[in-house]
Amino acid sequence: MESHFINKSNLDRLVKSLSKSYKIFAPVKSDNKRFYRKIGDEGLRDSVIGEIRAVEPIKSFYFPARTKIAEYFSKDDSDKKERPIAIIGAKSCDLASFKVMDYVYSQEPFKDPFYISKREAGLIISSDCTLCGETCFCVAIGIMPYPTEGFDINLSEIEGGYLAETGSSKGEKIIKEYFKLFQGAEPYAQKRDSNRKKLKEDLLEHVKKSGIPAKDSIQPAFKSKFDTSLWEETSKTCVECGACNMICPACHCFILMDQKKEDGFERLKMWDSCLLMSFARVAGGANPRKLLAQRMRNRIDKKFNFFPDTIGRFGCTGCGRCIEACPGKIDIREVLSKL
Amino acid sequence: MENPYLPIKTEVLDVIEESPAIKTFRLKPDTPLHFKAGQFIEMSIPGKGEAPFTPSSSHYEKDKLEITIMKAGRITSMIHNLKKGDTVGLRGPYGKEYPLPEFEGKEILLVGGGVGLAPLRALFLALTHDIEKYKSVLFCCGSKTPSDIIYKDCVLDKWQSLDKKRIKFRVTVDRKDDSWKGNVGLVTTTLDKLDINLKNSVSIVCGPPIMMKFATFKLLEVGYKPEQIYLSMEKNMSCGIGKCGHCRLGNFYACKDGPVFRYDKINHIHEIWD
Repeated sequence: MESHFINKSNLDRLVKSLSKSYKIFAPVKSDNKRFYRKIGDEGLRDSVIGEIRAVEPIKSFYFPARTKIAEYFSKDDSDKKERPIAIIGAKSCDLASFKVMDYVYSQEPFKDPFYISKREAGLIISSDCTLCGETCFCVAIGIMPYPTEGFDINLSEIEGGYLAETGSSKGEKIIKEYFKLFQGAEPYAQKRDSNRKKLKEDLLEHVKKSGIPAKDSIQPAFKSKFDTSLWEETSKTCVECGACNMICPACHCFILMDQKKEDGFERLKMWDSCLLMSFARVAGGANPRKLLAQRMRNRIDKKFNFFPDTIGRFGCTGCGRCIEACPGKIDIREVLSKL
Repeated sequence: MENPYLPIKTEVLDVIEESPAIKTFRLKPDTPLHFKAGQFIEMSIPGKGEAPFTPSSSHYEKDKLEITIMKAGRITSMIHNLKKGDTVGLRGPYGKEYPLPEFEGKEILLVGGGVGLAPLRALFLALTHDIEKYKSVLFCCGSKTPSDIIYKDCVLDKWQSLDKKRIKFRVTVDRKDDSWKGNVGLVTTTLDKLDINLKNSVSIVCGPPIMMKFATFKLLEVGYKPEQIYLSMEKNMSCGIGKCGHCRLGNFYACKDGPVFRYDKINHIHEIWD
């Protein structure tokens, strides 16, 4: 891990140059929210590198809402080369979601070539959060508001530029190649650490009022509340729209759909939602989760019980997107506080 | 990297009517699928969708396979309309097979209900292929009525005389008709008075969820331990490779950790019988 300093105009130059080999996306601001936009010749002009996470989950780039994955009965084209994706300004919670997605899609004996190829070829230039979002609660579940791993380069905003830290050989290679755009990091390191400390403290203060149990007691608390009325209460205002699943960066479930096309048939992989009645239903109508309360519990189970057991971390990143997306005002922080 | 979602073009060689609601499809994929008894495949109707099924034929037959399917939903209804010469898609095999080496030297009890006989047929054919490796096989088959019995000429006739010393059958129907001279009662009634040394036995159960539940409870009642009972769990196995999330069963995915599970591995999980 090496650190360098890059000023804003040099970062812009770097991104413009990288856009020759990558499809680059970075957040821009609209209506006080951040959305990923493709970066072209105009560079990073309107982009917001710091602040907080974008509205859409980063999974959209590697596991799009709808992907064609096969055709009847043509040769496999899953290895088709596309221009790799580079994300600038991904946040710590986004990187945490990769831990879940990478596990699911790279797990043997069958890897998902569509996700894996995009991840392997892609570039992640992440950045520290500089604000605390209203629905953010990452620190309550052990995720820091600044990336600690999972990036190629991380940017910490500081005095007209960024402290750039490398996190992979791919990142090191880029810095080596564009060495002239960087300066020594020494004068900025201390300031970066104090910025991080301050934001972490602000966030801890912010999440305190949610009453989320301590990180290590969430899973045992979930188990103890398995057979209680909490799930019925929680699902009272759920309209089964699936928005929480769609917007969740760590929700990986999908459905395979076949459809006709001009000269044959194709198979699509599309995001699916475990809150929907049909999710676990089998032919003949048997359904292990007929009740909405069971499906609500299943969603929390997967995130706070299944993933801790299988990969040693939550299937939730504390990004708070589901809180913003829910038309029934279901707040995952409140659910956790009632465990 | 191989694309696991790509179906293999497959020809329907024959369609055998087993019962009013159940048909067996004899299939020949362009590229052979080397399944083991208990593993499943995904079978698709081009452009319409796919569903998981466990082959019912012997895994020693390399280039062809048979799948026995009950008409139960959208895809299975379309499959039932298939005719000889039609084209379908297959991918797989997926999941864990029956652990045959663990069954060696044992007295094996197969308990099947309805179309649940399909995976057990594949298992039975694998067992009888090397019958000298196993001490005995008792196959308990239950069906709703005599006309619902599948593989009728095998279950009621051919298989019964394969090896009379080692292989025995108990066939029952829930409701008899005038032609039926055999046992009447749920399949659980065939598990009374077992002439089996339970200490050296394993039981393998496959059938509708409600039958699996009561058969398992009955096996426990007659003295089988959870670790001697193997179940084929039917869940919504969509991708077949542990990614899509539909068939989660506690900390397992039925598609990759099952569909064959030893009961002691899953008996703590909520909602397993639903």
